[in-house]
Amino acid sequence: MKLNGKLALVTGGSQGIGRGIVEAFIQQGAQVITCGRYTEPKDLPAACNYIQLDVSDPAAVNRFAADIHNLDILVNNAGVQVEKNTVESTDEDWDQVMGANARGVFNMCRAFIPNMTEGGSIINIGSISGNIADPSMALYNASKAFVHGLTRSIAVDHGPAIRCNAICPGWIETGMLEAGFATADNPQTAMHDALQRHPVRRFGKPEDIASMAVWLASSDASFATGQLFTIDGGMTAASPLNPGLF
Amino acid sequence: MMLEGKIALVTGGRGGIGRAVVKRLMREGATVYAADLTENGSLQTHDDDGSQFIKLDVTSEDDAITAFKTVEQQHSCLHILVNAAGIEIEKTIEQTTLEEWNQSFAVNVTGTFLTSKHSLPLLRAAATQGATSSIINFGSYDGFIADPGLAAYCATKGAVHALTRAMACDHGPEGIRVNAICPGYVDTPMLQSFFKGDGSGGQGGNIESLQQAVRDVHPMRTYGTPDDIANLVNWLASDEARYASGQLWVLDGGLSAQVQQMRL
Repeated sequence: MKLNGKLALVTGGSQGIGRGIVEAFIQQGAQVITCGRYTEPKDLPAACNYIQLDVSDPAAVNRFAADIHNLDILVNNAGVQVEKNTVESTDEDWDQVMGANARGVFNMCRAFIPNMTEGGSIINIGSISGNIADPSMALYNASKAFVHGLTRSIAVDHGPAIRCNAICPGWIETGMLEAGFATADNPQTAMHDALQRHPVRRFGKPEDIASMAVWLASSDASFATGQLFTIDGGMTAASPLNPGLF
Repeated sequence: MMLEGKIALVTGGRGGIGRAVVKRLMREGATVYAADLTENGSLQTHDDDGSQFIKLDVTSEDDAITAFKTVEQQHSCLHILVNAAGIEIEKTIEQTTLEEWNQSFAVNVTGTFLTSKHSLPLLRAAATQGATSSIINFGSYDGFIADPGLAAYCATKGAVHALTRAMACDHGPEGIRVNAICPGYVDTPMLQSFFKGDGSGGQGGNIESLQQAVRDVHPMRTYGTPDDIANLVNWLASDEARYASGQLWVLDGGLSAQVQQMRL
């Protein structure tokens, strides 16, 4: 077990990628705390402690951090997405997306870095969309670019005590992905087209991201810091134009 | 006019992008040598554009030496070298023969090496006259991300990118700037061949609808023209770009700014 005896905190662990990371960390012997905006989901693994917390609220994050000492691993996974372009986006959209995705990661890092153990590891969930744009996802794309920049800053400012890296997932099978296909003109064709754009011919699973998170959290990754690790089944290695598909 | 009194040599100067570059540099007042395998380059014909033709196979060191000897005899210096000669093999590595692989590297990488190497004394001579001199290589957005079935091409362009940075490091102190332009889809004989050979255009597909689909994927809703590329060559060659060196300039209508465009 790679994380035996480690104390880990994963934000947004109720579902999707965060849930996958919670389960993988438990399996590797870590003691895991997770948090979310809502009440504890009923199906959360018993070994996991759940705290209700809105990461975008700095005072709440600071109160929470005061109770937790000797944290070894912090995973900033909690995030939201609003599908709008710049002109369509409202002030509320800004507060929601930047609040959770940007300010939330900042709040957590600022509050927890002083409490982390020597050799601790912070893992932020960035996105391929922080490097190249998804259409009509303006605030989301920008918020993930913030995460990438903060990741490097923390690595530079707080090494060697703390390592900090980001994982940039591509298309991962969470509820969101299936919902996207359901609204397509022809869901079957859309699914086929999307799969053809993945050299591995499948979409990602939360486990795919979790296994990278385990590696980054473990001592195997003790020389890895300040980097963005893309896990997308090869999608962004190919040109966005794939004439074979037209 | 931005390049008055400058001496320039463009390899592949009679090809799709090369001849647009030649024309633009001349319009800006430069004296231009168009170096290519033949007077017509990769096109069927050539109308006299006032450039001086130099027969040059970029894979031949003797040719390169001879070409720059000609420039030296006539002008004793060179301000601008544009390495636009290039070929594209449309195959995966499994389909690519060793000969094709070596030929790709010979033209796209070794060619850039040889012409740059043998032009250095002339570029240095131009730089000592108070201005910088400029080498402009041709990379590609394919040097960053892959198009399917273009393995050797992608690899050569990645090599050009690395060589560009290395040359900029080594020769910047001598007043020589080195940059690469990384075009996306540009309407050239090479692109038309790609459309036909890709399998969707050539083998029963409709090349017009393929071209339209390709335009639609670009944020600018069109692919580029050789003149678009020549505009950037002109700037990089000019004194306005005197602080620009060691960079890879992607010019692709926004294509590579986006995630793959799924058809939802």
